[in-house]
Amino acid sequence: MKLPKLLAGLALAGMVLAACGTSNSTGNTNKGTINIGVDLPESGAEASNGIPTLNGVKYAVQTAGSVEGYTIKVKNLDDAVNGVHDPQKGAQNMQAFVADTSVLGVVGPFNSNVARAEIPISNRAKLAQISPANTNQCLTKNIYIPTTLGAPKDITCKDAGILAPADLRPTGVNNYFRVATTDDLQGPAMADYAYDTLKVTKLGVASDNEVYGKGIADTFSAEFKNKGGTIVKRQDFNTKSTNDFRGFLQSAKGAGATAIYFGGTDSNKGCIVRAQAKGIFAADSPYMGGDGLQTGQCLKDAADNAAGIYAAVAAPNAEQIPASKSIIDGFKKAFPNKDDFGAYSMPAYDCAKILIEAIRKAIKANNGNMPTRDAVRQQVANTKDFTGTLGKTTFDENGDTSLKIISIYQAKGSPVDWSWVTQIDFAKK
Amino acid sequence: MPRAANDPSFFVQIVIYGLANGAIYALIALGYTMVYGIVELINFAHGDVFTLGGFLALPLIAAFGLREDQSTGLGVYLVLLVVALIVMLLTGSLNVLIERVAYRPLRNAPRLAPLITAVGMSFILEGLMYMWQGANNVHFPDLLPSGRISLGGSASIGAKDFIVIALAVVLVVVLTTFINNSKLGKAMRATAQDRDAAQLMGVNINRTIAATFFIGAVLAGAGGMIFGLYFNTVRFDLGFQSGLFAFTAAVFGGIGNIQGAALGGLFIGMVKAFSDAYFTSQLTDVWIFSILILVLVFRPTGLLGMRVPEK
Repeated sequence: MKLPKLLAGLALAGMVLAACGTSNSTGNTNKGTINIGVDLPESGAEASNGIPTLNGVKYAVQTAGSVEGYTIKVKNLDDAVNGVHDPQKGAQNMQAFVADTSVLGVVGPFNSNVARAEIPISNRAKLAQISPANTNQCLTKNIYIPTTLGAPKDITCKDAGILAPADLRPTGVNNYFRVATTDDLQGPAMADYAYDTLKVTKLGVASDNEVYGKGIADTFSAEFKNKGGTIVKRQDFNTKSTNDFRGFLQSAKGAGATAIYFGGTDSNKGCIVRAQAKGIFAADSPYMGGDGLQTGQCLKDAADNAAGIYAAVAAPNAEQIPASKSIIDGFKKAFPNKDDFGAYSMPAYDCAKILIEAIRKAIKANNGNMPTRDAVRQQVANTKDFTGTLGKTTFDENGDTSLKIISIYQAKGSPVDWSWVTQIDFAKK
Repeated sequence: MPRAANDPSFFVQIVIYGLANGAIYALIALGYTMVYGIVELINFAHGDVFTLGGFLALPLIAAFGLREDQSTGLGVYLVLLVVALIVMLLTGSLNVLIERVAYRPLRNAPRLAPLITAVGMSFILEGLMYMWQGANNVHFPDLLPSGRISLGGSASIGAKDFIVIALAVVLVVVLTTFINNSKLGKAMRATAQDRDAAQLMGVNINRTIAATFFIGAVLAGAGGMIFGLYFNTVRFDLGFQSGLFAFTAAVFGGIGNIQGAALGGLFIGMVKAFSDAYFTSQLTDVWIFSILILVLVFRPTGLLGMRVPEK
């Protein structure tokens, strides 16, 4: 009789050990590991974007514990090469995720041109992909500039020389979703703010000539003209070979501009242009852009001319939503440094939570067994009124979020830092 | 066309921007042209030595206690001059070291070997600067006076513009005089013309070539620091594009030709400034290279003629 008792004791000890291994408190036995792939720029100039965003996913996974007996882990890959986001590296990372059968969904990427390279790959594998930060409209919609911005007819992505969503999805089934809203709103939101609130009527527009930068510069310009404003000078720069932007600034100023809009990122000298405006434009003249400028690096680049930069971000500010406070406080306890939290930490948190929720439902539907990628993708597509830190998210058939909110930030104070000024809700317009 | 286009003072302003940018290209182009003139090597690492000049100045400026917005007066310029001399000495010595380690052993190897070595050296320098200073734009303290003198209408010349243009002119004049009159300059010209004959006449070839690399890098180092003081920003990959345009400037003016490189630099600075200000900047590089091709088709030796070893 002694031997069976010992065996039972060993088995019990084994179960306890196994339970410890899954690091959950529900006491389920560990059925295996499910990985959430994360593709973001994690090194170099854009680490300031990527790392706080990655932290959002990590925090969501930490707080989720185990899901229906499966351990959830983060598998993150860096899509930056030489410090700059790289579409080919993104595509390679996506292939690595597809090859790893434990990856049931991906959060990322950060940059729209990386998404364009990745979606065809994840689409063939029916792997759900949710981006916290992609804003280029042509990733989900085939309208580059809609008639609502004053164009005589819709300008399609094809017209603008950009691949349409259908071209990116070889299987014809959508697997790409995002919690950030789109550039055809991000650009116009700033145009509305410039014309209505800042009372700017004439301005100069420049871009870094990339998909994202030129896109928001185009939609900004369309809406600004629609409102009755004038674009006195437009320039799309090869920012790699251009060091001096004063010729553009001077000619805009000479033609009567009182402000500048720059479509692009800080790593493409977006805020060096602001620094060079010193002495040409008044110190407090508005300098506007999209979420590519809303970084700490931008303030460093603009140096003593940083105050007066306005940036639109294509997501609500979770800090303005009272119900999200406890989650943000928890995040800041787990990631205590100032640089750990960024504009896209909470959007990334929501992406991961939506994905985890979809995985949970897919496991349940599969009688507690490991679900297929397509089942998870289907559950993500069915996301309806998901309550996250940004509000209630529903995905439409294109993969776009129902939350069409653009937040406006201003660089001000001493020392100069970003502060939230207002938000524009396009769902209510 | 915005009405600024018809404003003569706007035209003057763009000329000044073009001159200042051109002066910086000219400083880099001089190093390319000198090295090519004497060993027929396109020293791709030269643009990165230029960037390094900017980065080396940063800790030195901090070490001498210069602070943005706090340091004023003549003392600042004296310290900047000392910093510049140290930077020039460092970049010069580094370039001599590069020549000794990477190029000299290949001097008689097939032409492609040193060329690829130079490309490799450029990547090594960029990689090391990336590790040292990171991938971001690095702020360079604004220490030059910000005063401007009005030139009528909306045009004005800043103290910075003036300093950059004047420094480039002085350096070109000093360099030309040095090469035309000094003993080392004569040795350089002799080596450039016919290396074997020069050696027979008792010229120390290795020392002369090393000196050429040293002087070229001294100018590049000074150029990098001037770039930092002028634009108040430096980035690890700055040298790649700037170096490419400077090399183009050297070919445009006639490779091996000091005045040609200076002229080529000014030309590229001007075309860039005018294209960005009056036309669309998407076509800026198209303009530069179209004009370059046209010039080379009709004058294959560049505007002022090549000065390279005779065959």
